[in-house]
Amino acid sequence: MVRDGDYVAVFNSIHRVMKAEKVLKGRQLGILLIPVPRALQSDCGLAIRYGADIRESVEGALAEEGLLPAEIYVKQGEAYRKVG
Amino acid sequence: MACPQPVVTVKRALEENPGGALHVLLDNGASRENVSRFAANHGLNVAETVTGEAVSLVISGGPQQAKEGVAGRGGKSVMLVASDRLGDGPEELGRLLMKNFIITLLDVTEVPDLMLFVNNGVLLTTEGSEVAEALEKLGNRGVEVFSCGVCLDFFHRKDKLVAGAVTNMLTIAESMLQASSVIRL
Repeated sequence: MVRDGDYVAVFNSIHRVMKAEKVLKGRQLGILLIPVPRALQSDCGLAIRYGADIRESVEGALAEEGLLPAEIYVKQGEAYRKVG
Repeated sequence: MACPQPVVTVKRALEENPGGALHVLLDNGASRENVSRFAANHGLNVAETVTGEAVSLVISGGPQQAKEGVAGRGGKSVMLVASDRLGDGPEELGRLLMKNFIITLLDVTEVPDLMLFVNNGVLLTTEGSEVAEALEKLGNRGVEVFSCGVCLDFFHRKDKLVAGAVTNMLTIAESMLQASSVIRL
């Protein structure tokens, strides 16, 4: 479900990730709530996937709403690189 | 043929003729990769011949291999998805869990042979579904996805199917009664 170049924002609370999904969808951003990929760790097991083209809008909106994720990764090949 | 139709067609042909060699002609693209991967994952041999933009595959394997690998343990495993929510509880959580469950199937080794969507379950196979992408990927792994026609009609979603195909109650009933296992969600 995560393509090369996609970003994955990992949250450590189910309530925060659900709120983040609602906020981002409310802003018509093409994100998808996904299970956290096996290679990554998370307390709640859910993450938000988004493309590089909307990265600024997604992370900007989350910052505005006080919903910054615990960690952000970008998928490069088969690996995930931490970017935030 | 649009994905995942090539894999589904090959799967059915293998089930109808277990152990026989199957000749498949495909475009040299995603369908070739999906069909080859599907066959290899089921322990079958794949021989490829590229002719211009087309690829000819010969899929073969021992009768036992083909039977176990594709038809599976004397019957199919069926997953009946009768809701767009997983479990009882808050609607929002139920929808999130169902979405999470279906996407997680992509990461597990054993996938069902058939996924039958009935009642509210058809909300997952029609426009607006957030698991359409996951269902297409499952289709490419040989999972057949069917939605109940009556249910699509009831929700006015007959022309809004985005994953799998339409089926009727006869097929749903037969599939469940002939299955080696049925998991109801």
